[in-house]
Amino acid sequence: MTDNGAGSTKGVYEAVVCSNKQIGRSFYRLGLEFSSVGGKAFVEARPGQFAQLDLAAAPLPSAEAIPEGLADAARRGIILRRPFSFCDVVRKDRKTQVEILYCVVGPASLRMKGLSGGDKVSVIGPLGRGFSVAEKKRHALLVAGGMGAGPLVYLAKVLTGESSKMEVVVFAGARTREELPFRRPLDEISRQLGFSLGEFAEYGVKSQVATDDGTAGYEGLVTDCFSKWLGEQNLPARDTIVYACGPEAMLAQVAEIAKDRNIDCEVSMERRMACGIGLCQSCVVECKVEDSNESVYKLCCEDGPVFDSREVVFSS
Amino acid sequence: MNETVDMSVDFAGLELANPVFTASGTCGYADELADFMDMNALGGFITKSITRKPRKGNPTPRIVETDSGMLNAIGWANIGLERFIEEKLGILGSMSAAVFVNVAGASIGDYVSVVERLAGEEAITGFELNVSCPNVGQGGISFGTDAGQVAKVTAAVKKVLDSRFRGNDKDGRKVLMVKLSPCVTDISVTARAAVEAGADALSLINTFTAMVIDIEEREPVLANRTGGLSGPAIKPIAVYLVNKVYNEVAKKNGIPILGMGGIKTASDAIEFVVAGASAVAIGTWNFVEPGCAVKIVEGIKKYCADHNIKEIKELVGALKAG
Repeated sequence: MTDNGAGSTKGVYEAVVCSNKQIGRSFYRLGLEFSSVGGKAFVEARPGQFAQLDLAAAPLPSAEAIPEGLADAARRGIILRRPFSFCDVVRKDRKTQVEILYCVVGPASLRMKGLSGGDKVSVIGPLGRGFSVAEKKRHALLVAGGMGAGPLVYLAKVLTGESSKMEVVVFAGARTREELPFRRPLDEISRQLGFSLGEFAEYGVKSQVATDDGTAGYEGLVTDCFSKWLGEQNLPARDTIVYACGPEAMLAQVAEIAKDRNIDCEVSMERRMACGIGLCQSCVVECKVEDSNESVYKLCCEDGPVFDSREVVFSS
Repeated sequence: MNETVDMSVDFAGLELANPVFTASGTCGYADELADFMDMNALGGFITKSITRKPRKGNPTPRIVETDSGMLNAIGWANIGLERFIEEKLGILGSMSAAVFVNVAGASIGDYVSVVERLAGEEAITGFELNVSCPNVGQGGISFGTDAGQVAKVTAAVKKVLDSRFRGNDKDGRKVLMVKLSPCVTDISVTARAAVEAGADALSLINTFTAMVIDIEEREPVLANRTGGLSGPAIKPIAVYLVNKVYNEVAKKNGIPILGMGGIKTASDAIEFVVAGASAVAIGTWNFVEPGCAVKIVEGIKKYCADHNIKEIKELVGALKAG
């Protein structure tokens, strides 16, 4: 296992917005660039780690660009930072560029949508423990629910990096085709070959798509699609690892499937956070204590957000 | 120019380097903020609430943001007294700031046993009695809104401290500070009860009990249903209450006030000092801008220099009479 980022230097950095693009109907990718200042740089962030963005000063989009359902949210003030993981990180010369996948759901993400090239954003990061990159395993299975695809795109890139012999497959689910947080689907030939999602195809990663309403790929839950696929393969459990990010009910199901087959599984959890740096104690995740019936609360921001799935007591 | 300003503060017999503290529950147990600031730049540091036994705290969601503020319902989640002693006292002992341990409990006996165990520790300057937390079933605010209970718990802890330091052994004596709840009809009543029972200092205000409702689910957002409102939203009320306690209780008894509630800038801090606070504590804003305490110290210094104030002490209670 390589470094999961737990030891990296966190700090407060100023980032400059380099892009802010809409993807499909409801998703966006925000690009931020960090320059090294006085020898201190936003060091490489690991897949699954996150950053806290201060969006309070970001401009709201123009009145026409505010979705009808968010008219009230647009009138709300914000003070707290918001946590986001990275869907890409690139180190170039002495600069670091990161991309963040987001959708517009409330007062903070509305402001995020209002950001444009050259705007400055205060960022605290990189934070938390990311996914462990299990170099010794041969098969990595990525399960993404909705927005959970973000950090898994970056993970796919790292897992398939130079000298990697790992075979990676991603399972991406959403309620409808419209809610899949990806760019336009690839052409028919690519799709037949199993490269449905461009973000993953870029790294040579095959993908399976599931939608609740069947408007794209498998009709039903991504966990059913994943379970069915696993049943058809004959992967050696010891040589396989599952990485999942998405709604908690999905994570619980993936954890169960992995446990039944004795496959290692890491899940990226989500909690409301005030600080992201271990001060506020609000983002707790209930975890089992080994060899006992007891449980403890661990902090999503510092002990996670990525946890070994066997450890987590998922909330129902 | 700034160097000519004397930022030191006399706080219940303590000589503090400057009047800026970080508030309990927003700065961890000891050095959690060290990645973001020089901890020795602080005048004072207050640990998160310590209880006799470890506490898991409340289920999630534990926080929710509001316009200009946030609600929390953490529920005194902490590692407990023994682990605190084992793991944190060493780090606290190396800090130059005055270190206060925030003490919480469900009964007077709980408060007493935590203080008894820690009263001899050199690393600790004093105690802040949390009799005003709105997020626990027993203790907390149920103590803090009843002047009789405030007096009892304060007197019981004072007795422990007095029995340890008979005579004139001032060096080892710990400062006893009581943290007041704003959720009362008249805060001067509880302030007076604490002072008469032996409090050396008062800290105010704790959070306001509050609720945020999810209108789709028609249930409270917080698992605990209610939480404590903090942040800039409460600042003007906090300034008013500090001024009230200063005028009605603290000034005439020579008791210093640690003022807090929504401070995010040096100007906010100065308002509290002018209202009557000898020192101020930064709470919620540590979450947004960890390290802001250092900027606030510098900002206060600059204000004093710009206004030809030689000592920050001159500014305490400098509010013009109405």
